[in-house]
Amino acid sequence: MLFTKTSKLAEIVHQNYLLIPIISRFGIKFGFGDKNVEQVCKQYQIHTDFFIEIINTFNDKEYTPSKKLRELPLNITVNYLLKSHKYFNQVKLPIIENLIHQLKWENADNKNNKLILDKFFNEYRNEVIEHTSNEEKEVYPFILEIEKNFHKTRADEQFLNVLSKKSIRKYADTHDELNSALLDLKNIIIKYLPPADNNEITNQILQEIFGLEKDMEDHTKLEDSVVVPAAVMMEKELRKQLDK
Amino acid sequence: MSMGKLSFIIAENSYIIRTGLVRIINSFSEAVVLKEATELNSLIKIVNKHKPDFVIVNAKLIADPHDDIRTLFSDNLSTKFIIFVGSRRKNEHFVHFNEKISVDDEKTEIIYKIQNLIISRLPTERSDEGNELSEREKDVVKQIALGQTNKEIAEKLFISTHTVITHRKNITGKLGIKTVSGLTVYAILNNIIEIDEAV
Ligand SMILES: [Fe+2]
Ligand SMILES: [Fe+2]
Repeated sequence: MLFTKTSKLAEIVHQNYLLIPIISRFGIKFGFGDKNVEQVCKQYQIHTDFFIEIINTFNDKEYTPSKKLRELPLNITVNYLLKSHKYFNQVKLPIIENLIHQLKWENADNKNNKLILDKFFNEYRNEVIEHTSNEEKEVYPFILEIEKNFHKTRADEQFLNVLSKKSIRKYADTHDELNSALLDLKNIIIKYLPPADNNEITNQILQEIFGLEKDMEDHTKLEDSVVVPAAVMMEKELRKQLDK
Repeated sequence: MSMGKLSFIIAENSYIIRTGLVRIINSFSEAVVLKEATELNSLIKIVNKHKPDFVIVNAKLIADPHDDIRTLFSDNLSTKFIIFVGSRRKNEHFVHFNEKISVDDEKTEIIYKIQNLIISRLPTERSDEGNELSEREKDVVKQIALGQTNKEIAEKLFISTHTVITHRKNITGKLGIKTVSGLTVYAILNNIIEIDEAV
């Protein structure tokens, strides 16, 4: 299913309810009646093409973000990425943590299970925090600087100086470890953790983790195949000024 | 997560048909389409490189589908070849192919054929024991959970670092756990180490 700007937003939610957190990340609230994507985007001052690309990328895993996405100003994408970070760190991970705390094992043999799982989860959570805050403090600002200077006839002297010392390339592919940790967490719960007395909490935890994983996959896809390549391309051009 | 799945490469120049074949193959939980090709030369290259379990190739892409297709590829390839034909050739018999799929096949026929191909390739013993760690692997898991490096583990167990790395790969394949913290959790849950030994 491919969505366009004339698709009704209500219909999109009916088609794939997993898009709800994505839509709300754009600041859109429910009660949008029969408005289509274009109308809603106009109301909330959202870039319509960007919105559609994001929705389609999330909805269909075979969908590759079109060239359009790379040609948009990077701050639109970066802004969205920042909102996703906030959602991961301030909404999703606390929900999972809270659920883990609710798990119960009465049997004395299993008294450590919660502790073990909680410890592993916290390590993962800290890795996510470290990764996202590094992007927020270092990577994204650098990318936006690259873009800003790219559009000037001559880049700032100061920035060219920075460019002679660092490159956006070294920020690529730091995502594998985070993925592995999340995969481990899933397998530990699915395959190895003795069943808790309140198994319905375990179900909820898994659902939350799968949701987070999907969301993060798309997030990473945006970073690795849209934002970073665009920045790499601009940096390459800027480096030509460096030689002069 | 393509770990342990049977791999397919699909060679077909029609986008519509290719997409359909990919979708059908990927709908089997044991199978995954690794790559797609639209002509013979690139097919030869990617098959030699990836050595898939299966290749589905449209008869149109081959000069003469009654010739032995294997001669086109590198030696000792254990790949099985499936030919895809249009209506006109659906009753022909192709001795050099392991299976034939026709554009006119009904859903049940295609599913049946692919299922049989998959079954022919699955390891005969796919029970739990296949995924159980050997004693040696348990030793390695224990050392990893105790926070030892590959080199330290090698010295402790009198094996080469290379062997330690192979063990780690196999352990990850069997358990579906890759990180040190994850393996530590596994070790504690399975009483390979005590909780207060973990780093
Ligand atoms: Fe990020
Ligand atoms: Fe990232």
